Amino acid sequence: MGSMNRLLNRTLLYYSLFATLILLLSSPFFYWMMEKLYIDDVDEAIMLRRKEFDSKNRDSLTTAQIIDWNHFNRDTKILPDTISKPKEHIIQEMFFDEMTPEWEPYRILYSDVIIQNQHYVLMIRLNLIESEDLIKTLTWLYCGVLFVLLLIIFFITRFISNRLWKPFFNTLNQIDHFNIEQHQSPVLVTTHITEFKQLNKGISKLINENLKAYQSQKEFTENAAHELQTPLAVFQSKLDMLLQDPSLNINQASILQSLYQAASRLSRVNKNLLLLSKIENNQYTSREPVDLAKTIHDVIPYFSEQALSRNLTIHTNISDAPVLNACRPLVEIMINNLILNAIRHNRNNGSISIKLTSEEIVIGNTGELQKLNTQNLFKRFSKESKLNNSSGLGLAIVKQICNFHKWQVSYEYKKNQHFFYIML
Amino acid sequence: MKILVVEDELELAESISSYLKGESYVCEIASSFKDAYEKISMFYYDCILLDIMLPDGSGLKLLEELAKEKKQDGVIIISAKDSLEDKIAGLKIGADDYLAKPFHLSELSARIHSLIRRKQFDNTNQIQFNELKIDLLSKAVYVNNTTVPITKTEFDLLLFLIGNKNRVISKAAVAEHLSGDMANMMDNFDFVYSHIKNLKRKLMEAECKDYIKTVYGTGYKWEA
Repeated sequence: MGSMNRLLNRTLLYYSLFATLILLLSSPFFYWMMEKLYIDDVDEAIMLRRKEFDSKNRDSLTTAQIIDWNHFNRDTKILPDTISKPKEHIIQEMFFDEMTPEWEPYRILYSDVIIQNQHYVLMIRLNLIESEDLIKTLTWLYCGVLFVLLLIIFFITRFISNRLWKPFFNTLNQIDHFNIEQHQSPVLVTTHITEFKQLNKGISKLINENLKAYQSQKEFTENAAHELQTPLAVFQSKLDMLLQDPSLNINQASILQSLYQAASRLSRVNKNLLLLSKIENNQYTSREPVDLAKTIHDVIPYFSEQALSRNLTIHTNISDAPVLNACRPLVEIMINNLILNAIRHNRNNGSISIKLTSEEIVIGNTGELQKLNTQNLFKRFSKESKLNNSSGLGLAIVKQICNFHKWQVSYEYKKNQHFFYIML
Repeated sequence: MKILVVEDELELAESISSYLKGESYVCEIASSFKDAYEKISMFYYDCILLDIMLPDGSGLKLLEELAKEKKQDGVIIISAKDSLEDKIAGLKIGADDYLAKPFHLSELSARIHSLIRRKQFDNTNQIQFNELKIDLLSKAVYVNNTTVPITKTEFDLLLFLIGNKNRVISKAAVAEHLSGDMANMMDNFDFVYSHIKNLKRKLMEAECKDYIKTVYGTGYKWEA
């Protein structure tokens, strides 16, 4: 997540983009407006001068005086009637100024005048050069003021947004750190802003309802499993009684055998569900130093016996003997589950490898030549294999035990073997 | 031998009592706290099977009562709650054993057998059965005073069979008994067969009579 995606930074980015756009577009517009206004002013002055000429000079002027007139008036000249320019409206032209010396823009009006019954053209012009400088200066000033203004607004927005959104970010942070398994609803900081109040209220409600649902779901699992124990006990005891019947024939015995298997499986699922809910309900609190190497060594003989009927070989490679502060019964269950899994999903004449270092436990086994679906591997009752008498909870329990101890469990398929890693 | 079954689930209580009657035990059933309390205060039992969760009280209260009156009755807790805390609490107050539901009747019977044996003062460490002698302390087995080389698992199996003599033990019960804590994970009972086979062979090689009968591959029986 780039910091550019933060709400405030996004706001400021858009703001900056639009501010620049406004600055870039408005400056030429401002320049153009200023120029137009000034030209209007100049044109007005030209028209005024024209009127002045009409009322004061036209009737008194003689043709002989025209040379003098032209000599003393730089910008109001009387020219012979040979100029073929548009008359009676003001146009813009460039003239060469010997003083500067350069071409300069002028507003200029040509109009016909009659002096002593002779036709002349009256030319009135006004230089725009000074005004141009002024307009440029004004535009720069405008740009500067606007830029500073936008800059100030930028910082104010940032400051205000930071303050205004604070409750929102507080809430966000709280939600982020919320963990439903810790049974604690987050403490949301009170705010006076209606929307945030509403948000906090909504979130608190949502979380509390979730916690309640989670709690009752957990209780349900535990209660259901407990309630099943007694009928299961009755069922199993009746099977035991039936088995005592001396008139039992071979068909009935084989039915009984199937029932025993079903009963065992039921009781196994039930006990495993209870175990899971106990871990989730934090009923395993004790921690003690657990010697992993010893734990593994202790169960190897038992599993070797299990592996015998399928001719599996178990290799152990224990390079270190880490002693962990952990919950002993859970660690034992985890190791047992993993090794049992490796036996259960193995092929005949296959092998199992158990590796222990100070950082990890790796249990690998031969088996089906296909990678397992990692997505559902650690989920409850998501059975990958066709073995229908496994409880479907073994790996879910392993995962839960790892979570409980904050270890990482992962699965990998390589060199035709399935590996389970526990990072301690 | 008198046994009191304190259990509110009558079907279970009846199964237990009829299974145990086969072995010269006299069983009584108490289905409530009150009932059990009365029976306990009036009579002596060699073993009390105690369900903790009774409709009108906790079985642990009965245990405290027994301890207060300094009664010597052996107690095995049978509980639907398989929790370590309960187990520890029960054993602390004075129970001798703890068995979580659901259990096999053969397992229960073996536990009772072992409890009563421990409580008998005269012959605590040895079981004699015709030509067979079992030394519980050294975990050795003798046939006509010759040692039988036997593994720990086979020893456990032998005791389990003798603790249920003349009754059929299911393969599942044997498997769970031999697996101990691992029983929750077991799904393959095949290993039982080889242990039975080995035990049988070893006993017969020592010229012991073949007491172990197989019942259609479903169960085993120590036939006296």
